[in-house]
Amino acid sequence: MKLLRLSIVIFVFLNILSCASNQSPRDISNYSVPVDNFSKTVELLVANEAFLEDEILKINAQNPSVQRILISADDLLTQEKFLQANSELERAYRITKQDGALYLRLAHLRYKQGLFQESESFASKGLLLSNISSWERLLLNVYLKN
Amino acid sequence: MKFKLTIGFFIGFTSIIVLIFLSAVVAVIDYRVTTKLDGVLWTVPAKLYSRPMELAEGLKLNQDNLIRELEMLSYESVSKPDSPGQFYLSKNDLKIYLRGYQDQRSGIFDVEFEQSQIKKISNQLGISEDLIKLEPIVIGGMYPAHMEDRVLLNWPEVPQILIDTILAVEDQNFFNHYGVSLKSISRAFLKNIQAGEVEQGGSTITQQLAKSLFFSSEQTIRRKVMEAIASLLIEFHYSKEEILLAYINDVFLAQSGKRAIHGFGMGAQHFFGTSIKNLSTDQVAMLVGMLKGPSLYNPRRNPVNATERRNLVLKVLNRSNKIDDSNFENLKNKQLGLSAPNYRTETKYPAFHDLVRLELQKNFDEEELRTKGLAIETNIDPVLQESLENSIRETKKQLIKKYGTKLNDLEGSAIAVDITNGEIKSVVGSTSPSSFGFNRSINAIRPIGSLVKPLIYLTALDKYNEYNLTTILDDSELSLMSGGKLWEPDNFDKKFHGEIPLHVALWQSYNIASARLGLDIGYESVESMFMNLGIQKSVPNYPSLFIGSFELSPYEAIQAYQTIAADGFYTPLRSIRQIKDTKGDLEFSYPYSIEQRVRPEPVALLKFGMQQTFIRGTARGYPLDKIESWNAGGKTGTSDDQRDSWFVGFAGELLVLVWLGFDDNRPTPLTGRTGAFQVWKNFINSINPVESDKNVLPRIEYVWTDMKDGLLSGKKCKNSLLVPFIKGTEPKIIPNVRRSCATKFDRSDSGVLDKLREVFEGGQG
Repeated sequence: MKLLRLSIVIFVFLNILSCASNQSPRDISNYSVPVDNFSKTVELLVANEAFLEDEILKINAQNPSVQRILISADDLLTQEKFLQANSELERAYRITKQDGALYLRLAHLRYKQGLFQESESFASKGLLLSNISSWERLLLNVYLKN
Repeated sequence: MKFKLTIGFFIGFTSIIVLIFLSAVVAVIDYRVTTKLDGVLWTVPAKLYSRPMELAEGLKLNQDNLIRELEMLSYESVSKPDSPGQFYLSKNDLKIYLRGYQDQRSGIFDVEFEQSQIKKISNQLGISEDLIKLEPIVIGGMYPAHMEDRVLLNWPEVPQILIDTILAVEDQNFFNHYGVSLKSISRAFLKNIQAGEVEQGGSTITQQLAKSLFFSSEQTIRRKVMEAIASLLIEFHYSKEEILLAYINDVFLAQSGKRAIHGFGMGAQHFFGTSIKNLSTDQVAMLVGMLKGPSLYNPRRNPVNATERRNLVLKVLNRSNKIDDSNFENLKNKQLGLSAPNYRTETKYPAFHDLVRLELQKNFDEEELRTKGLAIETNIDPVLQESLENSIRETKKQLIKKYGTKLNDLEGSAIAVDITNGEIKSVVGSTSPSSFGFNRSINAIRPIGSLVKPLIYLTALDKYNEYNLTTILDDSELSLMSGGKLWEPDNFDKKFHGEIPLHVALWQSYNIASARLGLDIGYESVESMFMNLGIQKSVPNYPSLFIGSFELSPYEAIQAYQTIAADGFYTPLRSIRQIKDTKGDLEFSYPYSIEQRVRPEPVALLKFGMQQTFIRGTARGYPLDKIESWNAGGKTGTSDDQRDSWFVGFAGELLVLVWLGFDDNRPTPLTGRTGAFQVWKNFINSINPVESDKNVLPRIEYVWTDMKDGLLSGKKCKNSLLVPFIKGTEPKIIPNVRRSCATKFDRSDSGVLDKLREVFEGGQG
């Protein structure tokens, strides 16, 4: 394992040295790493909406007040009361705009409402957060593909 | 025989005619009774509410603004809150006795602040609470022509003390008569004789209700007969509870401007700023006492009369054993405890009301709005609204002081929105914000001046392979034919500045560099960017477009800037959150909608340029730490001959746009900085936004560059500035002259660390 890490670091160093002298503009037309590049688990999530929803609802908010609202939003979401669920999520959003759990739910809710472009946009916005975990990042990427 | 026949026929015929006439009269009265009680009585105007403020642990909030909101809600500052509607502030600790609203129960709560953030909320028992909710402020309604306003109460919402008091004072025999009661009249007469003053009225509650069906106060026998018939019909059609409830909801209590206050639900709100369930016995007694003479016993106009009348009602309650002696003594010595009068409730904020009305017209017809009792929860933040109104009013006064009375007619508009979710927080449509009339926020279509430049620069920066913040632009003399005429743009300072980096041209707002840039990137690209930002107008193909001849209303302009401030995510602006019916069920909602229209990286570069406006450009003056904590950025705009003064700027979570000018389009002495920016500054200073959250874009890196040639520089070099670039687009050349002051460690971002992060986190790349 250590050997693998070391070889990665050496590879990265060599790579940087080769690019540093002559960088070209990075393509920013595509914001996400394709979901396929993550792992087979992602493929599974994409394929199974119920499993995906389950995973989304497991993501807790960092703030207890927001978490309390999310419990109510999740309940409404599972009852397919989308407008009411949205109202709750917006309440939470007014408390903090820096929680990956919120963007995941908003992306998922819009997906369930059939608003795919909005779902993707919420996911893209969530991906701009600097404090989200790799798992949240991965889940958000699912909505970019969907 | 013939004679007898004729008399008999005449009597019979007359009787039939009289019978038909009487039947017709009864039918007409019956129709009025049922129509009124089934229909008109239950028509409740739609009410507009401010957003209810929710306090939550972790919420960033300016403590002063919360106190201002409590004061607007008529909360009283006391040393020890012991009844609803009171608070005590001690440094970072706020004790508040909430009145209760919807699912929020009344009670004392402790809100602890730590640096503009709520650290902890706990209840009376010291147990932590995640969320508490303040009641919203009523900001207006959609009133019917007769301007009757009421809050409809259902039977379970009517407190027993109100029923007891009404019956004790108005109609003790209510449950035992059929609408008209000779016994009531004679008893009231005797009681009043005994008391030496008018304690009780002779009319039953049913008669009083019947009286309100006929909109005249004439005291004629004909009307009394009609009232009696109506009373009997009311008793015939409705149960006693229904009649009493109708009375409680319909009775006239006061006039507030054009608005007529009907019913105890509305009365409680109007005089005490709370719902009926929160009223104490003395407050109920005061309202019931007003029935005898709403004007004579109006507690705001005639507090002495109102207090005497209240005490008389309390005496009646005491005599009928509804309150004991000690309670009576205690209550009669209490102050009236009125809330501060609100003289602008009909349409408290006309420009905002206008936006709401336009939005509602898309989904509701007028009839529904005036009768269904809809509760419209808007996005208005009353503290921001009051501050924005004050700022535009006060700034105008300051400007008149500075430039003279020629600015007496100066008009203006300002809008503040939440950057991320597009909620409209406050709007003014005039420098006299409370007056009705021309709403300039949506109707003043004016040249936006230099406010167009960030949109042009963003179009260029989005072509990130061709343009970055240090791309050199040409600000030398320009002369070209446009529409058959020679077009030669000037800079505001009447000078040419030669070759300058793009970001300098932006914050210095150079016209010629912008015009050349626009011509380079082309009308088509600019039009496409305008559309992405949310501008729905077609773009004219003439070069003056690039320096601000393009016309927009303040509302259209701020929509475009919302997309910029929100990192390229377009969100339609919203004045309304949701609409609920009388049962509290969601009738319609205006959800947060979002669409990524522009890539966040080019927008981040533009926002850097707009931040320079604050650091060294036309909005300079704020300390650097403030600018950074707010993540502030902005742009001034001045149209030809200074006919329009604009400023748009973001700070914290707010985006605020201001326009000043004359309605007849004559020149002003104002620039964007000396006019509109002053309104913006006064507003932002008064509300002091909390610091904004910062996102980090992994594809952006900062590099020291020279402010003149745009090439690489170093932290220790003169005229150097740390400028953001999309990775790979930063300048590569460092002139020999700066090799000594620049070091290879001057880059703020380490490429090595970046690569490692990518490998281990598998992020956005």
